[in-house]
Amino acid sequence: MAFNLAQLELGARARVTLVGGGGSLALRLLEMGFTPGTVVVLIKRAPFGDPLELQVRGCHVSLRKAEAARIEAVPL
Amino acid sequence: MTALRVALAGNPNVGKTSLFNELTGARHKVGNYAGVTVETRAGAVVARHGPARPITVLDLPGTYSLTPTAEDEAVAFRCLTGAEGQPPDVVALVLDAANLARNLYLAVQLLELGRPLVVALNMMDVAAEAGMPVDPAALSRALGAPVVPTVARTGEGIGRLVEALGSIDHVPQDSSERPPLRARVLADAADPEAPPGTPPVRWRWLVSAAAAGSLDLACPDAGERAALAAIDPATLTAAAHARVIARYREVDAVLAEIGFTAAQRERAPAMSRSAAIDRVLTHRVWGLLIFVLVMATIFSSIFTWAEPIMGAIESLIGWLSEQVTAAFGSGVFTDLLTQGVLAGAGNVLVFVPQIALLFLLLGLLEDSGYMARAAFLVDRLMARVGLHGRAFVPLLSGYACAIPAILGTRTITDPRDRLATILMIPFMSCSARLPIYVLFISALFPAEDRVGPFTVGSLMLVGFYALSTASALAAGAIWKRTVLRGPTPPFVLELPPYRLPRLRNTLLHVYDRTADFVRQAGTVILAMTIVLWVLLSFPRPPEAPAPGRAVPAAVDLQVDPAPASDVAEDMSDGASEHASSDISQEPADDSPIVHSIGGKIGLALEPVLAPMGQDFRMGIAILGSFAAREVMISTLGLVYGIEADDENQTPLREALREAREPDGSRRHTPLKGLAAMIFFVYACQCMSTLAVVRRETRSWRWPLLMFATMSTLAYALAVLVYQVGRALGYT
Repeated sequence: MAFNLAQLELGARARVTLVGGGGSLALRLLEMGFTPGTVVVLIKRAPFGDPLELQVRGCHVSLRKAEAARIEAVPL
Repeated sequence: MTALRVALAGNPNVGKTSLFNELTGARHKVGNYAGVTVETRAGAVVARHGPARPITVLDLPGTYSLTPTAEDEAVAFRCLTGAEGQPPDVVALVLDAANLARNLYLAVQLLELGRPLVVALNMMDVAAEAGMPVDPAALSRALGAPVVPTVARTGEGIGRLVEALGSIDHVPQDSSERPPLRARVLADAADPEAPPGTPPVRWRWLVSAAAAGSLDLACPDAGERAALAAIDPATLTAAAHARVIARYREVDAVLAEIGFTAAQRERAPAMSRSAAIDRVLTHRVWGLLIFVLVMATIFSSIFTWAEPIMGAIESLIGWLSEQVTAAFGSGVFTDLLTQGVLAGAGNVLVFVPQIALLFLLLGLLEDSGYMARAAFLVDRLMARVGLHGRAFVPLLSGYACAIPAILGTRTITDPRDRLATILMIPFMSCSARLPIYVLFISALFPAEDRVGPFTVGSLMLVGFYALSTASALAAGAIWKRTVLRGPTPPFVLELPPYRLPRLRNTLLHVYDRTADFVRQAGTVILAMTIVLWVLLSFPRPPEAPAPGRAVPAAVDLQVDPAPASDVAEDMSDGASEHASSDISQEPADDSPIVHSIGGKIGLALEPVLAPMGQDFRMGIAILGSFAAREVMISTLGLVYGIEADDENQTPLREALREAREPDGSRRHTPLKGLAAMIFFVYACQCMSTLAVVRRETRSWRWPLLMFATMSTLAYALAVLVYQVGRALGYT
């Protein structure tokens, strides 16, 4: 199983390689800027551990862990 | 001279609303597209900005993209492509200068669509402060479109924006003089072959919509639909993904052209201050504590702050009724005016303070950026019942009143999630149910009955609230798994930079929402009040009641502004009432209301009501409670020939306690009372709720489904409680 954004440590960076699956979620993730090559930082986890706050393309975007798991990446 | 038609586009949180209000001087019309709840506003550019020709501005929903994967994006897409009405002459795109790396995606899409484009570059100061290279002239060259720096909050640059809009010439969609960027994005990425007659640009959007499973939102024709159905889903997905990646490649090319380094592309300068604030506001302890405080404030505002204004509205309606009675004397016409029209108007206006307050607070919190954090904090809890974090506030508001709560669901973007929340809200035990619980508890359950330190009554009250909450959550889970089944909508939520909200923008929004309620739902509520009045007043009794015994002639169908709090202090004296029961025991079944159509309906329903332990008297009261739940009390009072309302329950309580059947047994037993209360926990006895649901869902289908399911549930559970109770030997 490839590394994905749900496995990111707090404050760590990773470079997106692939948004898996189809449907509106994958398209929405890509359109929010999670395109291959983009660098993402995990800023925070919500108090109950989910969702996550990620920095991507100069924005802070919140994703549920299940959604972040769809985004494969290489840790930097 | 025909007006130039401008569509205002932009990401959420970029100052688009401020710019629109500045351009139009805050004079606008709110429009809704058929079948959707997404609002658009249109207005004319005011003279002080010096338009060379008349300009009308259409404010599109704030979206990150134009791919129609959700209602708001679909509205923008259909407007810009002319699928709905005439397409705009020019698109004014508002860009956040401090966040070009994501904002430019929308610019690339607009260039693809080929509408003439003018860019308003907002928040230049934030970008400059962070040392980002945002030169309007360079951006203009890279985009091939005019770029005007603006400060939407102060109105700076608006004059130049209007000038740029007015001087743009009509550019045919397939001009050979394409700007270089547009030529590139049009050439980028390969699509499956388009059917004959479908322009390539339109085709790529249809491919993306089909890949997202939201083709219907893009309005394809039959030929296009068939062509897309013939393509392998994996091919569609691959083409749609390649398209997005190609667009972002062009965004990066533009950023490089205007001097961005890769590091600057990643950075979030506008977020540096917000990140510091979030260390407290989304902290695992302080964040949750502040969240609870904020929610408590919202809740108490609609529960108690709105009360004095609602009381004033009620007094005003009362005063007007007196004036009408004084002017016309008593008679049917006066009754129609006072008990039908004025009471109906009161039933509409009484909700206005709650709605306005809720939308004021929600608007300020939304604009400040806090609502996104609130959703972030509680999403984990809400996701367990299959809902979005944004459903929390509307559900909580439901404990006060379903009307503002249902209107508040507009912040939930996914239509299925929103509908599920709307269907859950009426289960929440609203403040109008409390007087009913209190009436039966204090009339039928002596305060001496205790379980440990608690009275039976208070335990029952807590039980009803727990039951209503559990039922709402269960209802949501059931709807989400059946009628509203669908993939869990993505959470994907931007946490925007914190900003000071603009009171003017929020007040305009509050006005729009409130006016819409009065116009749309208000007419239905007014009409229903009049119908109920007719049912409960006609035919009139043959003769006037015997002198000396003042029988109240008509039910007061008006919503009470604060049914819950009036009754709370009244509850404690329930026990002491036993002593003073010298009430006349004459049968009250001859009171005028029993002879009305409503009374006959009650009598006809008696066989149906018997299994849940209720008689025709309760049938009439249930009918009357349709105006608003607490009206049940005054209606039941009328049946017993007693002037009663939720503030003055004592005589009615005694009447209920003392009432005897012909065989001498008690007419209202504790078990019957419990069954009646269970009925009111579940029954959707509130015409205003149904009127608002109709308004918000644009059809009678959902409110009727809601009424049918809740009434069935209420009846079935009340019967169950009564029958099981009897089988166990209780009375």
